[in-house]
Amino acid sequence: MMTAMIRRLLQRGLAGALMLLLGVMIFQFVNPIIADSIGGEEGLSQLIELLPPGLQTLAQISPDFIALTGLAGYLSLGYDHPVYLVLVMSAIIGFTSRSIAGEIDRGTLALTLSRPIPRTNIYLARVAGLLVLIAVFAGAGPVATWLGLAMAQPTGEVSTDQLLALALLCGLLAWAVGGLSLMVSAASGTTGRVVGWATGFLVISFFVDYFAELWDMLEPVKPFSIFWYFDTTNTVVDGSVPMMSVLVLGGSGLLGVIAGWWKFTRRDFEI
Amino acid sequence: MASGSGFVIETESLCKAYGEIRALNEISLQVPEGSIFGFLGPNGAGKTTTIRILMGFTRATSGRATVFGHDSWADGVAVRSRIGYLVTADALYPDLSGDDQLAFAASISGREPVWRGRLLDALELDRKVLDRRLGTYSKGMRQKLALVSSAQHAPELLVFDEPTDGLDPLIQRNFAELLRDFRAEGTTVFMSSHDLGEVERLCDHVAVVRAGRLIAGGSMAELKQQYAQRVEVTFADAVPGGIDDIVGARLIERNGTMVTLHVDHDFNSMLRFLAGHDVVRMEIRPPELQEVFMSYYESGDSPSLPDGATTR
Repeated sequence: MMTAMIRRLLQRGLAGALMLLLGVMIFQFVNPIIADSIGGEEGLSQLIELLPPGLQTLAQISPDFIALTGLAGYLSLGYDHPVYLVLVMSAIIGFTSRSIAGEIDRGTLALTLSRPIPRTNIYLARVAGLLVLIAVFAGAGPVATWLGLAMAQPTGEVSTDQLLALALLCGLLAWAVGGLSLMVSAASGTTGRVVGWATGFLVISFFVDYFAELWDMLEPVKPFSIFWYFDTTNTVVDGSVPMMSVLVLGGSGLLGVIAGWWKFTRRDFEI
Repeated sequence: MASGSGFVIETESLCKAYGEIRALNEISLQVPEGSIFGFLGPNGAGKTTTIRILMGFTRATSGRATVFGHDSWADGVAVRSRIGYLVTADALYPDLSGDDQLAFAASISGREPVWRGRLLDALELDRKVLDRRLGTYSKGMRQKLALVSSAQHAPELLVFDEPTDGLDPLIQRNFAELLRDFRAEGTTVFMSSHDLGEVERLCDHVAVVRAGRLIAGGSMAELKQQYAQRVEVTFADAVPGGIDDIVGARLIERNGTMVTLHVDHDFNSMLRFLAGHDVVRMEIRPPELQEVFMSYYESGDSPSLPDGATTR
């Protein structure tokens, strides 16, 4: 029963998810090729130095960025780029909103609720589907980066450990967002409400993190942004995910999933 | 098998409130094993809310609902392992083919789809249709597939909300025959419907709800018995004076020398009156469900179960 439910959940919206996945892979695949076309680490350093100071501040990048972080540092920028985040989060929020609130909207949840399946199992099928999606999307970027590196071979070093750490960090961010939006989906009755709440949360978090780097006044609120714990550059340079990121992102996702389970197994379904 | 009481579904003082609004108010039902039970009422009367509680989709605010002796909320899995529930035709997955939809429904039912062939035959769904995606189905075809999906695993209780909505008369007749066959094999059917003709033809027990309250119930024969008989009388000459003063009778229609009366259970006053006049034709007709149903809805503001009415 679980396998049938998980397969059904992943089949729904598969075409859209594949398009987003393709977008993620193309985006991360071209980054090493761009790096090579600019001239590898040396060319990237020169390019950053040429940027006006104002633009360097806006891009939150210093002239010695490449010297300190190397090619891996440059590639890490592709993982906190808004395009990448929009593609991944669209897939995650799309799945969580569709799998509960969307099924309430359409009435299809009645198909499974009317069968001899405990509500906990129905909910766990959603969590399992989410984990599969997270694994695929978190892994796709680094795999595409690796393919791009293998093809373009820009000057500079990037190890497999660094890419794995990046994949793990991206997975943790997706888990946090997925867990929290699954909670909203379990408590809500409409897809629009889930998408609205989850997108609002992400956008506010993103801008709090971004502007806190520019304005000292916002420094104290930094830790309240989910992106504060999504430091791709340090992760790729160290080759490991900071423990604080594991705790906060992993814990947020887990709390969201548990709260969603609590609500899902107790609520009324007007379907 | 029922819980031992002979009733597959039993509710006792079932209430459901949404804030200030009481969707269900003290509903007590007993659905006998092996019956086809019609659950009637206008939109918003509480039929769907009752079904949701029986299925464990929602929790009653107070009261008790048991199916096969199991609490419908606390023991929902045990309850649903013996139920076939009809989802609305729009609640099927449009991206699946008919075949895949049935396979999915069977896989999450935990029982073999032993009735699938019988249902497909009765509803005239052929292989070519099943190969198509549901998105290309008409409303009637989706309804047929929803019916097959709900009953293919041979459940002991079928819970249907408007089962023949969108079906053509021929298919409705086939489906009614199939339901009678299922009943003969011991299956209980609990169905809500707006098609009173269908309920009258199919159901042996009915309950009527209005504004969240149970206002009538019992076997079809009992229900009709409680309601005034319709008597058509044709006089040789003009309709005599005083006909609208007969105790226990109500003049409904006057057409030339013919009158139509609704007579409560006591015919004596009417017969005494008619004995003094020249009657050329008299026909006593039991009321149709439509009339019974309408009488409950058009009657006073404080409905109550008629004397002697039960929900059995």
